[in-house]
Amino acid sequence: MTKEQLQTAITEKLGDKMTLLDTGRHDLMYEVKRENLLEVCKTLKDDESLAFDYYLNSHGVDTKEKFEVVYNLASIIHKTRIDFKVILPYDSAEIESVQTIWPGANWFEREMWELYGINVLNHDNLTRFLLADDWDKGFPMRKDWDAPGFIRMPEL
Amino acid sequence: MGGLKTEEFIVNMGPQHPSTHGVCRLMLTMDGEIVKKIEPVIGYLHRALEKICENRTYAQCIPISDRFEYVTAMSCNQVFSMAAERLAGIEIPERAEYIRVIMLELNRIASHLIFYGVTAMDIGALTPFLYGLREREAIIDLFEMTCGQRLTYNYIRPGGVSKDLPKEFVPQCRSTIAMIKEKLNDYEGLLNENPIWLARTKGVGYLDPKLAIAYGVSGPVLRASGVDYDIRRDDPYSIYDRFDWKVCTRPNGDTYDRYLIRLDEIKQSIKIIEQALDGLPEGNIKAKVSPNFKPPAGENYARVENSRGELGTYMQSTGEKKPLRVKMRGGSFCQLQALPHFGTECFIADLVAIFASLDIILPEVDR
Repeated sequence: MTKEQLQTAITEKLGDKMTLLDTGRHDLMYEVKRENLLEVCKTLKDDESLAFDYYLNSHGVDTKEKFEVVYNLASIIHKTRIDFKVILPYDSAEIESVQTIWPGANWFEREMWELYGINVLNHDNLTRFLLADDWDKGFPMRKDWDAPGFIRMPEL
Repeated sequence: MGGLKTEEFIVNMGPQHPSTHGVCRLMLTMDGEIVKKIEPVIGYLHRALEKICENRTYAQCIPISDRFEYVTAMSCNQVFSMAAERLAGIEIPERAEYIRVIMLELNRIASHLIFYGVTAMDIGALTPFLYGLREREAIIDLFEMTCGQRLTYNYIRPGGVSKDLPKEFVPQCRSTIAMIKEKLNDYEGLLNENPIWLARTKGVGYLDPKLAIAYGVSGPVLRASGVDYDIRRDDPYSIYDRFDWKVCTRPNGDTYDRYLIRLDEIKQSIKIIEQALDGLPEGNIKAKVSPNFKPPAGENYARVENSRGELGTYMQSTGEKKPLRVKMRGGSFCQLQALPHFGTECFIADLVAIFASLDIILPEVDR
């Protein structure tokens, strides 16, 4: 399946819920509203013409104004790739877990919860993951967090 | 034995355990000798590589990517450079693409040779380890003569590669792969039909293809379960579409198949290298790229097939000389996540074999 065919299929099935962004440099990049997330994910996985059954990666991004949660998916049958993101405001950073659709999302969401402080709803195991068990120094991947004693490299 | 009281108990395997290939701790719930539940505990090697990358320019990130997955550091350099090149729209010279493919495949062979050695050693055969590392040494010599480094190369950079091949590289590379091709017969002779090896690996740790896909398992482990998926063919990058080679699969999904598929892949890599050496063109090895280049705002996820599965890098730029976000995705992360779902109901000694056959490397999991 080519990229154009995929784009047509997405417009047909999920045109009102997924907005194409022009920031993607290689694969298609969409934006999904938070309230539509689970519905979109179900269709992406179960619809035969899309069949995104292979969960590659997901992670948070802090842009200093808002959080983004990016999902990277692939389809093994159609050999296609797609990315989409959900934008979250700073003051209500929470998102539904997608682990009922792709079980592999479990650890990725756990990492996001720990490093960004994005609350993942309906996740079965939100416990300390990469950081020390007694960590209480905040969310290290946020842009306003610097390690204690960290000295920024001088600008070149 | 009616009056005998039994209870489940917990055993810690690791973090300092010779067969966990780094510092991974598996909390095992045991019923006698049988593993009932596995809970991986990770994070011992967390070095915040992604956070460090946010404070560096794109070119300065490349040495950091070496530390991400040091057994195949070339792939990390490649995926990192690919993500940056796509952001900035950099075209790579023809010769650099060929050199990259040669280096990536040599690195894959070196990594599979380590796999061959350490897996056999974990299961109790010492000789394969000596064989595997002896041949790997010849490949490492090739890297050392090209870029001066033996483990963390910093060789593939945005725009091309850092140094041209020395003139003795091509003949020495040809003789090295011819030697490895010959030695593969020894490898197969040592283990393929060895009764102890068969008893320890055949039918052990069956991984269902559906489960593998659901948990994002990739690379040789996925293909050993019969799923015909290889990024080099299915989402082609660099110049892999020019070569004649085939994707190897094995149908059974057990530890023995996961071992065999690595030997199959070494043969295919040799085929690719031979063709790349024949077609190696003259010319530039690096496009003109400013050291502090500023890609336009945008984002993308680049992926390559390395010896442990899918290696991905997501990169987001805001138009500055430093990336806004870098995320590294390693195959081991998903393999380890899937382990508790198929590695149970076996002896603890079998778990060592299963863990070894996944070829997990911990720096890639913890980052």
